[in-house]
Amino acid sequence: MIKFILQRLGYGFLVILGVVMVVFLLFFTVPGDPVSMMVDQQADKTIRDAIRKDLGLDQPLHTQLYMYMRDLSPVSVHPDTPKEKEKYGFARLIPLGESVFVLKYPYLGRSFQTNQKVSDIVSQRVSLTIILALAAMFFATVVGITLGIFAALKQNTFWDGFISVVSVFGISTPSFVAASIISLIFGYMIGPYIGLNGIGTLWEIDPISGNKILHLKNLILPALTLGIRPLAIIVQLTRSSMLEVLSQDYIRTARAKGLSNYKVIVKHALKNALNPVVSTISNWLASLLAGAFFIETIFDYKGLGFETIQALDRRDLPIIMGATLVVASVFVIINLIADLLYAVIDPRIRLN
Amino acid sequence: MNEDILLEVKNLTVEFTANKKITQAVKNISFTIKKGESIGIVGESGSGKSVTSLAIMRLIQHPAGKITSGEIWFNSPTLGAVNLLELTTKQMQNDIRGNEIAMIFQEPMTSLNPVYTCGNQVMEAILLHQNVSKAEARKRAIETFDKVHLPFPEIILNKYPHELSGGQKQRVMIAMALACNPVLLIADEPTTALDVTVQAAILEILEELREKYGVSFMFITHDLGVVAEVSDRVMVMYKGNIVEKNDVWDIFNSPQQPYTKGLLACRPRLDFKMKVLPTVSDFMKTDDEGNMIEIKRYLSVGEALMLNLETDDEIEDRKKELTMKKPVLVVEGLCKWFPIKKPFFSRKPQEYIKAVDDVSFNVYPGETLGLVGESGCGKTTLGRLILRLLEPTSGNIFYEGEDILQMKNKDMQLLRKEMQIIFQDPYSSLNPRLTIGNAIMEPMELFGIGRNKQERKDMIINLLEKVSLGSEHFNRYPHEFSGGQRQRICIARALSVNPKFIICDESVSALDVSVQAQVLNLLNDLKEEFHFTNIFISHDLSVIKFLADRMIVMNKGKIEEFGFSEDIYASPSSEYTKNLIKAIPKGELDDIHRNQLRRKEAAAMRKAVF
Repeated sequence: MIKFILQRLGYGFLVILGVVMVVFLLFFTVPGDPVSMMVDQQADKTIRDAIRKDLGLDQPLHTQLYMYMRDLSPVSVHPDTPKEKEKYGFARLIPLGESVFVLKYPYLGRSFQTNQKVSDIVSQRVSLTIILALAAMFFATVVGITLGIFAALKQNTFWDGFISVVSVFGISTPSFVAASIISLIFGYMIGPYIGLNGIGTLWEIDPISGNKILHLKNLILPALTLGIRPLAIIVQLTRSSMLEVLSQDYIRTARAKGLSNYKVIVKHALKNALNPVVSTISNWLASLLAGAFFIETIFDYKGLGFETIQALDRRDLPIIMGATLVVASVFVIINLIADLLYAVIDPRIRLN
Repeated sequence: MNEDILLEVKNLTVEFTANKKITQAVKNISFTIKKGESIGIVGESGSGKSVTSLAIMRLIQHPAGKITSGEIWFNSPTLGAVNLLELTTKQMQNDIRGNEIAMIFQEPMTSLNPVYTCGNQVMEAILLHQNVSKAEARKRAIETFDKVHLPFPEIILNKYPHELSGGQKQRVMIAMALACNPVLLIADEPTTALDVTVQAAILEILEELREKYGVSFMFITHDLGVVAEVSDRVMVMYKGNIVEKNDVWDIFNSPQQPYTKGLLACRPRLDFKMKVLPTVSDFMKTDDEGNMIEIKRYLSVGEALMLNLETDDEIEDRKKELTMKKPVLVVEGLCKWFPIKKPFFSRKPQEYIKAVDDVSFNVYPGETLGLVGESGCGKTTLGRLILRLLEPTSGNIFYEGEDILQMKNKDMQLLRKEMQIIFQDPYSSLNPRLTIGNAIMEPMELFGIGRNKQERKDMIINLLEKVSLGSEHFNRYPHEFSGGQRQRICIARALSVNPKFIICDESVSALDVSVQAQVLNLLNDLKEEFHFTNIFISHDLSVIKFLADRMIVMNKGKIEEFGFSEDIYASPSSEYTKNLIKAIPKGELDDIHRNQLRRKEAAAMRKAVF
């Protein structure tokens, strides 16, 4: 089991490394000079060169790659100066003469526009997106599995057909279309009656006191919208997987033992049927983090997606790069957890 | 209800609806099982024997299947005499299923839930029906594991099904059924998926349960040999009807109905060599309405066997003639070792599974060489090595003097035309989207046989007629055929390229006995006509005995014994072969008589104890 975990961790590390390289190349292929995005057109050459030097843009490509990697690595060697200490906020581990071996959070750079640390911006925003994605996935999983089982048990009846048809709609509607329609209907047209807003984020600043106020109801519409597609897919998958399991010999054995219908379904069928569903849930949860961009923009929900879209508008590359890295890491971690869950559910996987 | 009677089925009819067509799977049948009795139900697939057992448990799948009429009276220890069909679902679940009537199924591989330990699944039944604590249930589970002779019950308790062998799994299944001391045990083909030696062990356990604990049995099987071994009375079912029911001795000694006679006669036998197997169609046919009409080709089963016997002189001549020619295939020191995956940093030397280990033999032209052994002995791997579908680890294979392992791809392609293989499962070896005409035409086009499409079509129709099909079948799809017909189509496909050499890998194992007899006869006839050489791989010694001139017994990748089949059966030299032959239920009258006597004694012993 430990070997299994280490192996998956290794794979995950390689994936992240690959993403880091791609993101680094992105920096050089995006059109436009980063320096001119930071200062206005009139700035003279000396200022430009100073900035260029500060960002290390005057160095050859491989040195820049090395510096970028060094910024990201949690353990690295830096010159032992107060300036470096302030820039990276590291903890000194082993002094090596002029340099020092340090432990630090990965350094993602600073925003071109606001000069805020990217890690601060991203960590503020990402929690909102994770809450949104988890809420959406929770809704999709609970409702999806329930409806899937229901459809399987009522196979070939009206309800089975109805659920299938509706879920096809759910799968085929693009998220921005669903988001616009839902925002329009539930947010504006009947919003005042049910008390929901068409736009809004989780934390809002009270205009008078300046305190942050939690608006949980602002989570409802974006989460429902985001959950529609995974919900539809989970319904279909649970249904087909459940039907397959119910035709297995061991279900007949369980019935012959005298177990009640409820126990046969919940204990013997469901645990076997859930395996493909777990993998879908984890894949979707990961892509929801990435797929929340449209929905956050339309609902004005200030998560990571919202921030990234704005950064794209402003060509604020460090934020885009940081956001991409964070999303990739979350992706890898969730898949790792899903793999472990698999092994818990199905003892046959543990063997290999 | 009479006190002696445990179960009485009266006028039971079960119907299935598929595509708005209603078929009667069981037609108005009646029978009784006495207390302490074992009743065997014999029949081919689709005869309604499994449906009957599921009807008793009320486990027929809704809404496709429905019990439309009848009564099933059961003398329940707790509820008294009740009609099972009138009980509530709750009563069925709490008192009957798994408690007073338990069931064992055919496939131990798939009948246990893969995600729970064996112990969990057995204890579940105990906890459900008996008011005991978890610790007590655990103790009882271990006791039942002990009863079915599972080694190290405490360890097996915590094992998952995939960690056990097939025989062990079936013992867990039996333990699960026994857990609550049922009065009736329904066993639906409990040994069909197992090797003969494992089958013998399982049958022994079941016999012991009967004799020691007086459990009544309803034993469903297609194998007459097994029935002879386990039952007191036998019911023969055919297309939803009980065609004959009688004492086991009478069924085997003097069968009355033509179908029963046919079934008894068509079994390949171990005791003598047959030229042609009699088939059910020698004894009966069915008219358009499905009624049986007796054909009096043979007066009795005995006569049917005697008339088709191969005499000792004929056998001697055949042996002599065979070895005069030069061998067509010579295999020398053939090995196929599969490396076992080992931990990356392990210092242990690489270990191998020796699927085929230093095997040498030759095959004469026109001979049928039988390759027999239990599952995992390497017989299928050997077959694939000869065709070079797998690359051997070492060794040589000479076909007509040429080393096929040295051949280039192009020559190998041409050789494929001469060597064909027929697989086990006729259901999955035909592409469901190709008409059978096109399926047979495909290899012909590949090897350029026939000048044009029309000529090929004529040749195919000719072939189809050879395998008892017709031109009207040319444009049909595989799903329109029965298992036996499909296997004949596969044979026709193999023959379409005029091969000199055919390997049959368990080609009759998936078929019913009566169909198996037809296919075996067909293979023999075709061999006469097309003069091909045949390697026939099977786990069934009696099939090999009927078909093969010489045979190889394989065990753990090695050749255990090699020689003329008559000699090996008459005087097996290795211990392994002896055990194998001993383990086959033969269905001989002497054995039946001996079993009956022993059971009488055991019953008397039980009475004396109480």
